[in-house]
This record gives sequence, C-alpha cells and structure tokens, in this order.
Amino acid sequence: MTRLGFLLDSDSCIGCHACTVACKSEHDVPLGVNRTWVKYIETGSFPNVNRHFSVMRCNHCDDAPCITICPTGALFRAANGVVDFDDSNCIGCKGCMNACPYDAIYINPATNTANKCNFCNHRIEQNLEPSCVVVCPTHAIKVADLDDPDDAATRIIARSDTAVRAPQQQTLPKVYYRGADQASLDPLRTAIAADGMIWADTTPQHPTAAADGHGVVARTAYTTAHETTWKAKVSSYLVTKAVAAGVMAVAALLALLGHGGSQAAVGVMPPVVAGFFLAVTGGLLVGDLRRPERFYYLLTRPNRRSWLVKGAWVLGAFAAVCAAWFVAGVAGSSGALEVLAVPAALLAAATAGYTAFLFGQCEGRDLWQTPLLLPTLLAQAAVAGGAAYAAADLFMEVPAPAAARWVMLGGLGACGLLIAAEVASHGTAHVEAAVAAMTKGRYARRFWAGGMVLGLVLPGAAVAVALAADSGAALPAGAGLAAVVGMWFYEDSFVRAGQSVPLS
Amino acid sequence: MAELHSYPPHETWHDAVTLDAKAWPKRVENHHTLVPTTCFNCEAACGLVCHVNHATGRIDRVEGNPLHPASRGRNCAKGPATLNQIDDHERILHPLRRTGERGGGQWQRVSWTEALDDIGGRIRSAIVEGRRDEVMYHVGRPGEDGFAERVLQCWGVDGHNSHTNICSSNARIGYQSWMGHDRPSADFAHAEVIFLISSHLEAGHYFNPHAQRIVEAQGNGATVICVDPRLSNTGAKADFWLPAWPGTEPFLLLAIARLLLADGAWDRGFVERWTNWETYLRARHPQRPVEFESVGPALLEDYAAYTPEEAERVCGVPAAQIVEVARIIGAHPTKFASHNWRAAGAGNLGGWQTARCLFFLNVLTGSVGTVGGTTGNGWNKYKAPHPPAEGAVQHWNELSWPQEYPLAYHEMSILLPHFLNEGRGRLDVYFSRVYNPVWTNPDGFSWLEALKDPDKVGCHVALTPTWSETAVFADYVLPMGVGAERHDVASFETHAGRWIGFRQPVLRRYAEIRGDEVGHGSRTHEFNPGEVWEENEFWIELSWRIDPDGALGIRRWFESPEHPGTPMSVDEYYSAMFAGVPGLADDAAAAGQSPLEFMRDRGAYALEGDMYLPYEREVELAALEGCELDETGVFRRPGTPGTWSGAAEDLAGLKLAGLGDGSPAVEVDGSAREGFPTPSRKLELYSQTLADWGWPEYATPTWIPSHVHWEDLDLDGDERILLPTFRIPTLIHTRSANSKWLSELSHRHPLWIHPSDAEALGIEVDGLVRIVTRIGHFVIGAWRTEGIRPGVVAASHHMGRWRLDAAAGGSWSGGDADITNDGGTWRLRRRGRPERHASDDPDTERIWWSDTGVHQNLTFCVQPDPVSGMQCWHQRVRVGPAEPGDAYGDVVVDTAKARDAYRDWLAKTRPAPGPDGLRRPLWYARPLKPTPAAYAL
Repeated sequence: MTRLGFLLDSDSCIGCHACTVACKSEHDVPLGVNRTWVKYIETGSFPNVNRHFSVMRCNHCDDAPCITICPTGALFRAANGVVDFDDSNCIGCKGCMNACPYDAIYINPATNTANKCNFCNHRIEQNLEPSCVVVCPTHAIKVADLDDPDDAATRIIARSDTAVRAPQQQTLPKVYYRGADQASLDPLRTAIAADGMIWADTTPQHPTAAADGHGVVARTAYTTAHETTWKAKVSSYLVTKAVAAGVMAVAALLALLGHGGSQAAVGVMPPVVAGFFLAVTGGLLVGDLRRPERFYYLLTRPNRRSWLVKGAWVLGAFAAVCAAWFVAGVAGSSGALEVLAVPAALLAAATAGYTAFLFGQCEGRDLWQTPLLLPTLLAQAAVAGGAAYAAADLFMEVPAPAAARWVMLGGLGACGLLIAAEVASHGTAHVEAAVAAMTKGRYARRFWAGGMVLGLVLPGAAVAVALAADSGAALPAGAGLAAVVGMWFYEDSFVRAGQSVPLS
Repeated sequence: MAELHSYPPHETWHDAVTLDAKAWPKRVENHHTLVPTTCFNCEAACGLVCHVNHATGRIDRVEGNPLHPASRGRNCAKGPATLNQIDDHERILHPLRRTGERGGGQWQRVSWTEALDDIGGRIRSAIVEGRRDEVMYHVGRPGEDGFAERVLQCWGVDGHNSHTNICSSNARIGYQSWMGHDRPSADFAHAEVIFLISSHLEAGHYFNPHAQRIVEAQGNGATVICVDPRLSNTGAKADFWLPAWPGTEPFLLLAIARLLLADGAWDRGFVERWTNWETYLRARHPQRPVEFESVGPALLEDYAAYTPEEAERVCGVPAAQIVEVARIIGAHPTKFASHNWRAAGAGNLGGWQTARCLFFLNVLTGSVGTVGGTTGNGWNKYKAPHPPAEGAVQHWNELSWPQEYPLAYHEMSILLPHFLNEGRGRLDVYFSRVYNPVWTNPDGFSWLEALKDPDKVGCHVALTPTWSETAVFADYVLPMGVGAERHDVASFETHAGRWIGFRQPVLRRYAEIRGDEVGHGSRTHEFNPGEVWEENEFWIELSWRIDPDGALGIRRWFESPEHPGTPMSVDEYYSAMFAGVPGLADDAAAAGQSPLEFMRDRGAYALEGDMYLPYEREVELAALEGCELDETGVFRRPGTPGTWSGAAEDLAGLKLAGLGDGSPAVEVDGSAREGFPTPSRKLELYSQTLADWGWPEYATPTWIPSHVHWEDLDLDGDERILLPTFRIPTLIHTRSANSKWLSELSHRHPLWIHPSDAEALGIEVDGLVRIVTRIGHFVIGAWRTEGIRPGVVAASHHMGRWRLDAAAGGSWSGGDADITNDGGTWRLRRRGRPERHASDDPDTERIWWSDTGVHQNLTFCVQPDPVSGMQCWHQRVRVGPAEPGDAYGDVVVDTAKARDAYRDWLAKTRPAPGPDGLRRPLWYARPLKPTPAAYAL
C-alpha cells in the first residue's frame, strides 16, 4: 500500500515562504487563509539567539478527527493515505476546524467550504510532486511513502531525530519534522509579543498567549491567523436545546408523578415550548452553516460516525416524540403521556447530552473533552426545564410547582459543582490554557459575571429563598430567566475559551 | 508508489495534461502549454515556466524551469508570485501623457505612435544639436546583458545611468581591486567553509540559486559563517553568527587573516604564484629583500595590531570565537567560498574594503577559482554576443562620470539631482526604466525637486509596468512588460558553471506554438495585455524615429538584415545572438531546431565545461605574437593601455579592452598563463591603481573606520547606528509590491531594537520612535528583539510605499499620503491604509492588514564613498520616543541640509585627473566604455 506523509526538514528550511506562495497559486487560495505557512520563532538572548522555521500544514493523520466529525463525507481518506476533501459535499459546519488539532483547516471565503492541504492529490494522481515540494529551494519538503521502507524520506524518518506535532492527540500524524526546535512545534511554548511579528500585522485572529502566560519560552515572530469558528450561534444553540430538552424532561417527570391530567401545563405547554426552542435550535444550526442551503446533506450524505449526524437524528427523534406528546396532550390522554414519558425523558437527555459527544469529537479543543461535559449539559437541561416551568407558573396552573423549583435548584447546584470541578481540576496544558482564558483571560467577565453570578449564584439564591419562603411565581420565574441568560454567558465563555488555545 | 516527478516531461510541454485542482476529486483535465521564461524580480534571473491554459489562453500558473542550470526548477516566493504581477488589476495598460502639473496626477491616454514620435524627435534634436549628454537612460535592475547599452552606443550617447551606486559599487571595487572581475562567484556547492557577509539564504545576488547550494553544502558538512549585526535568516541558519559592529567587518577579517598567517595556515605556494607580492614588498616594505620569504613577516608586521583581543574590542565579537573560526578556515584550504555584495559593503564609508579583506581570506587559503572556492564572475558568466553595433561612444558624460570620482563603480547616479541643481548640465530626455529613484535612492525629495523642474529635466519618460513614486512625476508613462511579457538574455555567476537564460513573451510564444502567424512584422504588444510593449521593440522603434531616413547612421543598426528597409525583429536579434553561443547551435541541431527555437522551448542553456582554475590556463604562443614580455612577467600587447607610454598623442590610438589593459597573459614558472584581468595579470595584494589614483594608504587590504563607527558615536546618549537596507525573502525593493501574495506575507517593517536600547532610550514596547537623521526624521514603530546588536537599530527597506493618488495603484502595499512643502521643509504624512475595495480581483475585498511601513530613504542624505562612489547606507541617527504631534509614517526633510551634506561628502574625494591626465583608469570596466580619447581630461 501507499501511505503518504511529509518530511519537513527544518535543518534545510530557510524560511523563504516559497511553499506558501506556490500553494496559494496552485489552489488559488484567497488572502487571509493558508493551506501551508512557515512559522518563525525566536529563542535566546543576544548574541546567543536564533530564529527557527517550521512549515505548518495538515498532518494527514492516520486517525483523522476531521474525517470522523465531517458529517457529509466531504473530508475523506484517499487510497494513498492522504486526507483529501470534496468541496461539493461540504456544508460548512466547521466541525472539522474544531476537530483538527493542527489549525490546518479553513473556510474558503470564495466557496464557503472547508479547505486544507490535500497533498496536491490531483498532482500525485499524475505522478507529480506537490507544488510546495517542487518550489522549495532547499528540498526541505519531501514526500515520504511511509509504507515503503526503501523510500528515501521514509528512511530519514526512521533513522533521524524527528518529531511530530501534538502526538498526545493520538491522531497518528504523518508529517514528520527533522531539526525543528521543540518550541516551534508546541504552540503553547511560544507567543506573539506585544509588539507583534517580524513583518506582518497581528490581528485578533492570530494566536495569543495563554492567559497565564505559563510555559512560554520563545516569541512567535511569524505565523498566520485562524478564525474562531463556533461563536454566538453555537453558544445559543446549547441553551435553546437545553430549554427544549429540559421542559420536556420536567413534563415527563410530572407525567410519571401522575400529573398527566394537567392538560395545559403538562400535555400542551411543554411540547409547544420544546417545539419552539427546537425550531430555534435548528435555525441556529442551519444558520451557522457556511453553506446553509446544503443542510439536508446531513441526511442524504451522512457520515454515521459523526456526532453532527447522530445529533441530527437525536434532534429529529426528539422532535417526533414532542409532536406525539402534543397530540396526546391536546387529546387529553394522560395515559398516552405516561407511555410517552420514558422515551421523552430519554430523548430529552440525549438532546441535551449528545453535544458532549460532538464536542468530544473536536480533538483540537481539549477543554471540550472533559468527562464532566455530559453531566453538565444534563444539569443545564434541568436548570432550563425548571426555569421554563417557573415561567409557566406565571401564566397557568402548574402542578407541584415546588418540584420544578427543586429541579432548577438541583440543576444549579450540580452545574456549580461540575463547573467548579472542571475549573479546579488539572488537565492537559491545553485545558489549563483554556480554563485560564475562561476564568482569567478575555472571557473572564462572561464567565464570572454572566455564567457564575447571573447564571448560578443569583438564581440559586432566589430559588432557595422561594422554596424556603414558598413565595409566589415571580421570584422563581425571574431566577429562571437569570439562569438561562447566565447559562448563555457560561456557554459562550466555554465555547470560545475552548477555541482560544493556539494550535499552531 | 510510482516515482514522482517535479514537472511534466519536456516533450509534453506543448500539450501537458494536468488535473484541475479546484475540481478535484473530480477528474477534470486541463491542457496547458508550458512556456519557459525568466523571472524579472531579483537579479538571480531564475527560470520560470508559465502554464498557458488552452481553453482560456491565459497563464494559470508560474512554476520553475527544471531545465535552468542555476535555479534547477526551484524558486523563492517571488517566482510563483509573478502570476500576481501578470494579473495585477492595477497595472498600466496604455501609454499616458501628463496633462497638468508634473506630479499632479492628471493623465491623458496617447497612442504609442504619438509618444514615439515626440520622444524620438526630442532625442534626434539633442543629437543633431550636439546635446547628446542631455539624453539619459537610468536603469534599475536591468535583467538583461547589454541590449540597452548597444542602443545607446548606436545613438552615440554616453547616457547610461544605473542603480549600481546604491547597490554594489563598494563590493565591486573590493573584488575588482584584487582580480579585475568585479563580482565574486562562489562555488558554494563544493565548499567546506562558507563565509557570508551577506544574507544569501534570504536575499542577495543570487538568493535562490545560492541558497540551494549553500544549504546543500551545509548538509554535506560545510561550516557556514555569517557576519551581520542583526540576526538575518542567514545568520539563523549559520553555524556561526558573528554580529560585528557595523563597519568593523574588515577588521574582523584582517584579524582572521593575521591568525592564518601567524598559524602558518595559509597557502604559501598560491600566494607566491598568483599575487603581485613583489610590488607589495617594494611599495610597503622597501627595506625587506624582494623574495617570497619576506611576505609572511611583512604581512604579519602590517597586521600586527589585528589581534583577536583587539578585534574583540573593536568588532564586539569574542576573541575565542574569532580564533575558532580562523582555525576552521585554516583547516580547509582551497575550499573556502565567500561572498559579500551589499550588507557591510553597501553600508559603510570604506565598505569596499569588506570585499577586499574578505577575498584576502580566499587568497590566503588558496581558494581562488578552485572547487569549493570563489572565482571572478567573468569566468562563470557568459555574455552572449549582440549583433554588430556602432563603435564606442566618443565623449564623456560628466553628469554620470564626474571628475571627483575617477574610480567610481559605476555612475554617480545618486548625485544627479545635485549636479542638475549646480548647473553641471540638464536633461532633455530622461528615461527612468523600471527604476524608482524618488523612492529608492537616498534624498528622494531632492529627486522630486529635480524631476518637477522642467528646466532641469525637459521630458521624463517612465518605462514601467506599474505606477511608482517616480512614475507619477513623469511626462510619459509607457507600460512595459513583466517577466512573462518581454525578451531578454541574461547570465549570472550563480555557481561553478556558465549558462544563459532567455526571457520571452509567453503568450507570443504560445501563439507561435499554436500555429498562429508570428512573423517578421509581429510585435510582442500584440500578444501582451492592453498596449503593453516590450522594451526591445520600443528601442528599435524609437531608434527609427530618431533617424527615420538613416541619415544619422543610427537606423542601420536597427534594420532587418533579411527585410531591408524594415525594423529588425526580435527574432532576428536573438537568432543572431544565439548563433554566437558556443555549443548551442550544435545542440539545437541535434534537437532538430534552430538555436532560437531551442531557446524558446527550453528557456536556458548550459555552456559546456567547468571554469575551475581559469587563470592557470596556458596561453598558446600564437596568441602572444607581437607581445612584449615586461619585467614583471606580463605579456604586453602594443597599442593597448598595458604598453601606453602616457604620451597624449598616443592615447586616441589605443585599443581598449572591456576589462583589463589588453595584456593577454603572464609568465608563471616559465609558462604563459591566462592570469587575471588586472594590470599585473595577478591578484593584486597591492593595487598600484589605487595608489596611483590618490589612495596609496588603501592599496592593500585595509580597515577604514566607517562613518558610523561605534567609537565615534554618543552611545551613552541617544545616538545609534541605523541599518536601513536589509532585504527580506519575500520582497524585492519596489518591484514586488504588485503581488498580493507577497504583500500578504510581508507588509510591515518595524524598527528592530534591542530591549536594552529601548529601555535606555525610553521607547515603550510597541512604541513609536522618532529617528533623526542629518537632514530630517521619520517616525516608525519599535520591535524589541534579541536578534540585533545593542547600539544598532534596523528596519528593512522594502516597505513604506506611498501614493498621492489612489488611482496610482498600490492597493496591496501603498499607503495614501500627502506631501507638503513649507519653506524648504518637505513633509510626508500618511492619510490611510490599504482598504478593502471591490475590483476585478475578489482578493481586494479580503485585505486584512493595515500597515504599509515607513519611507526611510527620504530622510537619508547622499553619502557617496569617495573611492567607489557607493552610497554608504548606514545612518548615524538619534533615536528617541516619538514627539507630540508625530504620527506613524511621518517623514520630514530639509533639502537645504541635504545639499550641505552633499557638499561635505564631495569634499572627501580626490578628483581626477589621475596619472597621465586621465579621467579614469583605462583598464577599469565601465558601461559604454568610450573611446580612449574621451578619457583625457
């Protein structure tokens, strides 16, 4: 078999950027994005100082998380081991950009699809070297057939001191570096200084140092910008589906507790609310696609391993059970509701929780890999469900209103404990950097004022008071609103901090 | 896996099938014709291959030419970026004539015929009325070998002006004073020690070909030593980075030389055989016997002060490191390859001694013309013969070759505005050809003043593919082709081997291959975009307008030999040229092609054989017939400068050689050898010419303290040394700004400053800095780096492009600016940054950067080295935080101070006449070398 990789020889690389330009030309890569680039770092102090060059690009991983997460098979493994892509399948979900631990994928602004180094597979097909290999003045970029022990580059890889980027991600990268300074391969060990880079501007999209600045041993003198891909729409989607899932979960609980006869509050309101929030959820998901008109590819060209696809199935099934609930609710059939309660509760949990598995497929975002994410999402659904019922309590007769308040309080308490555990625990350097960004860095206000105070402390206290004082509906409703708004701030800090850690 | 190739096989180049990158993984086939040409960016003239799409007729891609012996199919970033220059949406497509004030930005489209008639008429009048010196062709990087010189020679106009004295004059005289050849040709690929006072891994003559071979040698175990006050990328890759104080490099080199001598690690046999040591001893050590045994002690006496310890004090490089480096050099005799072209040479007063002292190490190690050594460019560069031309120009243009600089290498172009200002002459027709002196030269506001004054410059014709800061002050802007749109032949000493490269208009060649009629009457502009011409056809057409009836005797040199009465075609021109290239006709015939077709299909040709030890070649006795053997062993040919008595009446009859004094050989150990093109035919340890022409103290390798020598500066105060000229790998002066890919990579050039200096001078992190020069100041941003010697600050010269008018191109890299003049003080202030905007190129909507840099050169006065004429670029400056009211990019200059500075530097010269009442040594090379009579003052 042929299994292609690159040998990038930093010993020979002179940092000339010819590869960058040849690639731009070969693939008509627009300004602002790159399939390959040359990173410069500077180490030491005068006169014992040096500048090191390392070429950055897709690692054509043998276990490529981008292929796994790609919902439509736009990213695929070619027969020669290359991770290739097909623009015509891409819906622009950007999952691959979060799955990649190497900052290798970008959205092409001309096509709004995900592009990356594809090893010039259209050239390989004709036995031509990739254009970066051809142009390189010093032969610092070599093609290796890793399955051929007699291949010249493979022999160098076998015999020399080589390194790969981010081996801890266990993606089995196939881009090997010879002679690279370790710091140049570890994006947490260098940072762009306050006075910027050697001959290009620094933008907010350029990688920044971890908020605690820990472990930085050298300056990044040249690198490229990378867009944060999942932003407010994703943060919002997490909240809207938590509400949908939560309200149905509480409804299921009430139905199982024998309140199925409360037609308005158990039979009708929950599926209406859930349906509305599911619709918003769907709107946000489709709206976040760079090619929204292709959203149906999720169903027509599915990659069954992708949690984006499984998530779509979960959301669909959940929507179906909500519809059935609505029918049963309108019909006033409490018996049917009791039958539906268990599947509704399970699908609500799946709806709330599947994102943990989706984020888990984002191998580039260590913060999101936490095992605490699943319980946190479930607890958030409880909070949101409790909040929905607390709000409903203002308008209609809600059976056992204390139950919803207890659910909310329990959810808030669980969230608090889970988030505290997450922040306090020691994870990988990437997790620590992301947590620092969330709690001390540029997302700290969102996290503390929004997520913790507005989203947990204030509503927790208010619900506790309401329970203790057996207050009217207004206080819990206000607490629920604060909790949901605060939840958004927390999600937003979590989503963005997860993407803030430089990968290249 | 099947073996991968870099390029489709040559036999498929007329119809190469590739798969469409964008359509992939669908298999969509594209058919391309691959047409070779030559890069028009830096001097290296690397081979390119343009991929012309059969479906669209457009160039899709520019790759390297695998058949090019120097670049071997590989390129730097600027090669593939040629595509941007071809597709540049802001390029000039039609001839334009100024309508309002000069520099007012008002233009009218004119026909080529109108422009040619007007300009040709003016030149004709100048020639007929005896005002030949009022015609000047001022060329940036020529990218060709002799076409334009032949044109001027046929016009009888000594009007060649170059950019050389902002570039390489110092290095040239440093090398020429040793070996006659004015450029080094290093055999890096086979060297064991590579010594660079240059940044060849990112720039320089010749970046890509040299970088390939330097890295190859390093991989094979060669030691790379780089001297540079700042950490260039080359310094980063070097095994030794020696950040000597600017201007002390010759001191460092002489310290190494002294160690080689003291250790006995020098090639005594080579020095005895091939240097003019006898002359040295007689001139410098008359008390010592004239025998080789005296040379070592004499040199050790001369360089006794250059101890490692003193070198550490003067240069700031640890003594132990100097000793270590000297030991390595001494351990690798004959395999020492070295190079200096600009860097320290171009920066310093006396910088020409950098090359002279560096080559001293080649001489001491016997690494001259050896495998792995360094030889003269004349041996590794092949100048193809041009068609016959008029005889030498018969007069001397003092605007370019003033008496004050008899040894200048080359024209004193930086002083032109001052000469015009002093009334030394005027220009009626001034061609700026792909050259941007307002921006590139020092003292640009003096250029601006001169170019705006019609009494000084009657008609300024800018020959350029793009707008520039100079073109906006022209009367005519005539669009010329970029690398894929013009014919040129070039050859450079990139390695141990000789080659010629052919630049050709790609779409013209494509039409020919497709079977379209491209005949005698065809012109390149018919195939180029818009009305873009190639210069060669322009010069031929213009020469016809100058002499329409042939009465001036000019036209005949531009007339078709096959179709009399019609202008010569470029096909005829280059057919004639290629016919004279040894071996080419045979190889072409073997391929079943004419030499021209062969070159059009391959783009380059390697001449056979190597040129190792050329000076050792025995000269046949027949070639020495009629020569006299003089007392130094040189075979002198009667009627050449080598035998001239100095009698004025004999001068006019002398036959001048292009280089050297016309002596064909030197006797060494009883046999006649080719030797070197110097008066002694040997390597000149002692340059009698320098001594005779007023500089005896510099006749041997010498350290001349620079005008920015650190001991003369108030380093405890705010004085620092500014290095304003370094290159980066992605740009090339003002030629590359029309590439979006290159501009994206590099668009800012902050001031490199060591953190200790920044602290001492009160400059904040990322703070604005005001740099005060002798004639003004500029405001730039600080970049703290450990990669620079404390006491030195530096900013690359590439950035700082500006435009007064947004219509004048420069979207990727030009900052909108206003220029005002307030009673003699010029101010340039930035108005804006590159903005996103709609255009034919969707990428103009994606410009993400805002910096365009600061135009430093405006604030530098002229600082010509009194020997070489080279602009000494390094600046003695005061460095401090920006002052209230300063804005990033501000430039303020007082041109009255610039004139004072000009006079001060002029006063350092030792003017002609030299010996025998001459303007310049007869043996020196010179563009458009005139008749000997013109040399008499």
